Amino acid sequence: MRDRPEVVLTRHFFTSLFDFGFLSDEGAEAAKRALLGSLAVAAAFGLLLTRVFMAKYAALTAGPEDAYQLEVVADHAFLMAVPMWVVAGACAVVGHSLFPDQTDFRVLMAEPLSPVTIFGSKLASLLLFGGLFVAGTHLALLPLAALTMLGALKSGSVLTVAPAFAFSSLLGSLFAGLAIVAVHGLLLLLAPRARLLTLSGAVRSFLLGALVLSVPLVARLPGAARAFSSDAWWLPYTPPAWFVGLERWLTGDARYATLGALAAIATAAVIIASVASYVVLYRRFDQVIAPSSPSYSSGDDVRSLGRWIGRSPVRHAIHRFVSLTVRRSVLHQTLVVGVLAAAGGFVMNSLLSADGWREPLDTRVRDGELFGTLLWAPMAMIFLAIPTIRIALSVPLDLRSNWIFRMTEDVQGRGEVVAATVRIVLALAVAIPLAILGPVQWWMLGRAALNVVLAEAAIGWLLVEWLMADWRRIPFTCSYIPGKGFVPHMVVKGLASYVFFTWATGLVLRFSHARLRTALVFVVILGAAAGALRVQRWRNARTTSLTFEEVLPTDVTPLGLNVD
Amino acid sequence: MLQARGLTKRYGGLLALDRVSFEVHPGEIVGYLGPNGSGKSTTVNLVVGLLDPTAGELSLSGIRASQDPIGYKRRIGYVPEEPSLYTHLTAADYLMLVGRLRRLPAATLQARVPELLRLLQLHDSRYKPMTAFSKGMRQRVLVASALLHNPDLLVLDEPFSGLDVNAGLLLRTLLRMLASEGRMIFFSTHRFDMVEKICARVIVLSSGRVALERRVADFAREGPDSLEETFVRATRQPDFAPLARQILDTIAGA
Repeated sequence: MRDRPEVVLTRHFFTSLFDFGFLSDEGAEAAKRALLGSLAVAAAFGLLLTRVFMAKYAALTAGPEDAYQLEVVADHAFLMAVPMWVVAGACAVVGHSLFPDQTDFRVLMAEPLSPVTIFGSKLASLLLFGGLFVAGTHLALLPLAALTMLGALKSGSVLTVAPAFAFSSLLGSLFAGLAIVAVHGLLLLLAPRARLLTLSGAVRSFLLGALVLSVPLVARLPGAARAFSSDAWWLPYTPPAWFVGLERWLTGDARYATLGALAAIATAAVIIASVASYVVLYRRFDQVIAPSSPSYSSGDDVRSLGRWIGRSPVRHAIHRFVSLTVRRSVLHQTLVVGVLAAAGGFVMNSLLSADGWREPLDTRVRDGELFGTLLWAPMAMIFLAIPTIRIALSVPLDLRSNWIFRMTEDVQGRGEVVAATVRIVLALAVAIPLAILGPVQWWMLGRAALNVVLAEAAIGWLLVEWLMADWRRIPFTCSYIPGKGFVPHMVVKGLASYVFFTWATGLVLRFSHARLRTALVFVVILGAAAGALRVQRWRNARTTSLTFEEVLPTDVTPLGLNVD
Repeated sequence: MLQARGLTKRYGGLLALDRVSFEVHPGEIVGYLGPNGSGKSTTVNLVVGLLDPTAGELSLSGIRASQDPIGYKRRIGYVPEEPSLYTHLTAADYLMLVGRLRRLPAATLQARVPELLRLLQLHDSRYKPMTAFSKGMRQRVLVASALLHNPDLLVLDEPFSGLDVNAGLLLRTLLRMLASEGRMIFFSTHRFDMVEKICARVIVLSSGRVALERRVADFAREGPDSLEETFVRATRQPDFAPLARQILDTIAGA
């Protein structure tokens, strides 16, 4: 049985779904450890959630039955949304491997295998992959699900409620996974082949960005009991609500029949779209190797080549290399979009929680929840975006090709490489957050927002210079080992830094908001500090070679316990 | 002149190269032959400065690689064995990247890049990302990038791999002309016919040591297949007939 071609091929497809293709052997080992660690974190998170919800349910059991039932509906929406999000996220990450591709055709069709075997094995591996995440998240949330069913246990309806919840939740996860498959399938069938790679990457980045941005919305579902009772306008646009509607309808509650019908229609639609994509691609499999002419035609030679030209040749070349890589490499585009979306989602959650959005704040206002959140939001986003963009630039692309950078490294160029990278981090992690949140601050704070934005830009510059001071690599050209630090130490250090940074910058921004002159003094001080770091960076870069191979830290840090 | 003196390279306990010495003179094409695992690629990586030797010294026109690695590498053009290049870039993008890293003036690059692409028959594909390129096309891009800065020493590792007949003939002619203009060419290959056709001298490597160094003209005087026979003797290759027989027996028994 284990040697049957279908089984061998399914195993091959399944393991290749975990092969990110950009890690060295050491990096892959570290990633496996990180994955195992995240499974443990998921289990711990499930238990923690149960502990948090225990108090809520203890209070609810003492209250009226209607209120209890409404809270259960909202909590079940949350319990269904988490696995849906995880499965959709996992499928979006492996979006490039959801269908057999050109490599599969060239390699596997040369073997005595039928397309049925290839397509069947691919589908089986995807089901296994999706099933792994469905099972993992449902198991992690099982204690909380059991807690929400205590009321049903008391009333004797648990034998109806539990299967209805399990069925609806599993169907929701199936819908989430197949929705991603359907989007990629339709793209594969409808997009012009010349643009397929670019479009597929853009769609993957968009899906991941949207998923990351939806995290705060998922986290708010347990508090949405009132929305379910009042049939809020947004429920028909919220997939987890559809499946809760289905669950309630299955238990005999006709109020949510419309939402339940939406769940059934949406699931049928994504099943049909996914199956149809597979069937059509199966019938046209030979066309995946048909020649295409992907082209980045961009006008005449002079204009195209001119984009590489600048006063600092290496800096300009690195800048252009990074820009082209982020635009054309699906992996790097996804990382950058994911990072910015994660930071944006975190900030959006807090902004949505703050009250007082109806009209601009009085210019004399110096305190209050909304005022504090408006000053905190760009700082939090910048604090999160800088280190994560740095990580995104560290993930390599085709390591074998970095020989050209190693052969052309020179002393002046080292400084230009770092300068180019600092500029990129400034653009992505400081300029973009300020460009998004600046208008919001202007709207709510009026002209005083100018003082604040000036100070924010200076803080951002200083933080970038500080965090990039030890950067010695060309983006995407050095091997990468994820999780090489001691994780608990990094988490504690990161949290402490975050608390201190947002507190200190909050003070600076409050003073800056009060008077333009104060803001300008801060800008001069912070700018001088950033400028000094910049000069130091240029000096250091000249004396230190660029790094092309990351190594695990091997030095043992002595605790000095035996010092006489 | 390229001078290698006592080049030694160890990877942990493995001695990949053991006191290898040779010279490449201006105007000379030197062939570097050896079976797989003999240390050929290690030598090439040392010569182009991608690896540092465990012991020994390399110098190019008086510049010592250990003392001025940047000045040393600046004079070298390199075509690697595998067509390793950033295939998400177009050929023009790649050549511009290499040119800017080598600090060629903007005007030079804007004139030279399209011209090299045209001469190497890549002009029609200049806006296509190299993912769509055949191995031969990628090899031509690598040749263009190695020549872009007009180097003193050209290091080629299996440069004819993947090239069609026309491109192969063009490269052969080009190498001869570069040598006639005084460039040094260090040419690592498995192909005896190419060595016989274009090289002035051949160095044969076996188990990390120089097993033979001779002028190619001497082989021609000794008759056809002389280079191949000498190679087999120098590198102590086994008799291949029994090996081939074993393979046939293995598949017959399957």
